Amino acid sequence: MMDHAQYRSAVLSDPNDPNPELRAHREVCAECAAYTEKLLGFDARLSRALRIDVDPPKTAGAQPAVISFAGRPRRIKGARWLALAASVVLGFVVVGMVWVVPSRSLAAAVVAHMAGEPDAWETADAVPKPDLDAVLEDSKLKLMPKAGTVSYASNCRFRGHVVPHLVVQSDSGPVTVMVLVHESTAKWKQFDEEGYRGVIVPVKGHGALAVLMKDPHADAATVTRIAANVRESMVWTP
Amino acid sequence: MNDVFGGNAKRARFQALCQSLRPDLLRFAFWLSRDRALAEDVVQETMLRAWKAQDSLLNESAAKPWLLTIVRREYARTFERKRLPTVDVDELIAKEEPSLGVAADQELAEMRAALFKLPDEYREPLVMQVMMGYSTAEIAAELGLTGAAVLTRLFRARKRLRALCGEDITQDPDE
Repeated sequence: MMDHAQYRSAVLSDPNDPNPELRAHREVCAECAAYTEKLLGFDARLSRALRIDVDPPKTAGAQPAVISFAGRPRRIKGARWLALAASVVLGFVVVGMVWVVPSRSLAAAVVAHMAGEPDAWETADAVPKPDLDAVLEDSKLKLMPKAGTVSYASNCRFRGHVVPHLVVQSDSGPVTVMVLVHESTAKWKQFDEEGYRGVIVPVKGHGALAVLMKDPHADAATVTRIAANVRESMVWTP
Repeated sequence: MNDVFGGNAKRARFQALCQSLRPDLLRFAFWLSRDRALAEDVVQETMLRAWKAQDSLLNESAAKPWLLTIVRREYARTFERKRLPTVDVDELIAKEEPSLGVAADQELAEMRAALFKLPDEYREPLVMQVMMGYSTAEIAAELGLTGAAVLTRLFRARKRLRALCGEDITQDPDE
């Protein structure tokens, strides 16, 4: 049986470690559960801190890559290499034009999107099934009833794609679910952003799900459980 | 050998890769070097090397770790090419104030300053795990370490970072 020190050593190394032994210890030890909550909050802050602004310097002008290459003639050898570099530079200029849009984390983008649709939380009444099916159709997705009552369903533009935005009434309150078939994540990522507690969930072959609650006091285990139930309730159609 | 960027779509696919991956690569290079200008040089050089070596990328889904490996190698080459000066961490922080967002968000700025003070061997796996989403096994493979060694470094990294940030570490375990 794992003791407190072993548990805390493991979660300090990886607070999102899905090891069942860690989960079992957390479920019977309130102190370690609280410790994990604090650590997840710290990691969320760390994650935001690491995502520095990568906008190109304003002084670089319209063709930053060209200027940058010109400053390094010692690295360029021969006409062929120059031609190669020039072709890549063209690519970088195009990329640079897109690059001026501030990049931010997926979690922060989901939270920002939610904040822009406050009416999504206004009702707990079920969306008619044909309406729900229509929203999910483009994503080739159906939702089984065990997911819970869907009280809001809309196709929303999100990071350049149209994605289903749902509110599901769970036994712990309403949760927002965004079906992000165009995003990808390697593993479960919990986040705590601006009063929202949530998790980004990988969906093999179908991108990711964002599941979040508008409750800063919701515990990570609850959000994780709800997210797992939603993911299990999804049926992907050909 | 198959080329995942084959045919007429070659340039477009490479540009798309640059567009999607360059921000995270630049962030990774920044946390590796703690120097914005050097990070931009490293990533630019990485893209050139990637362009030349794209035939070796057999699976587009592996592009991110492939490019990250090139970033690490390119950063290491900067030490081969020239001896980088040793500087005081506080001077580094002052120099990189715009990137660290000192004026914008004090809490994040403090965390970023603390990250600057972490030893390289702790900072790098932490960035790979938290920002790049690498598993312990993936970090171990990239850094040439055992899984246990990676976990030890991550443990020490968080413990030290929490202390630097003034967190309550009385409940943190000893090694």
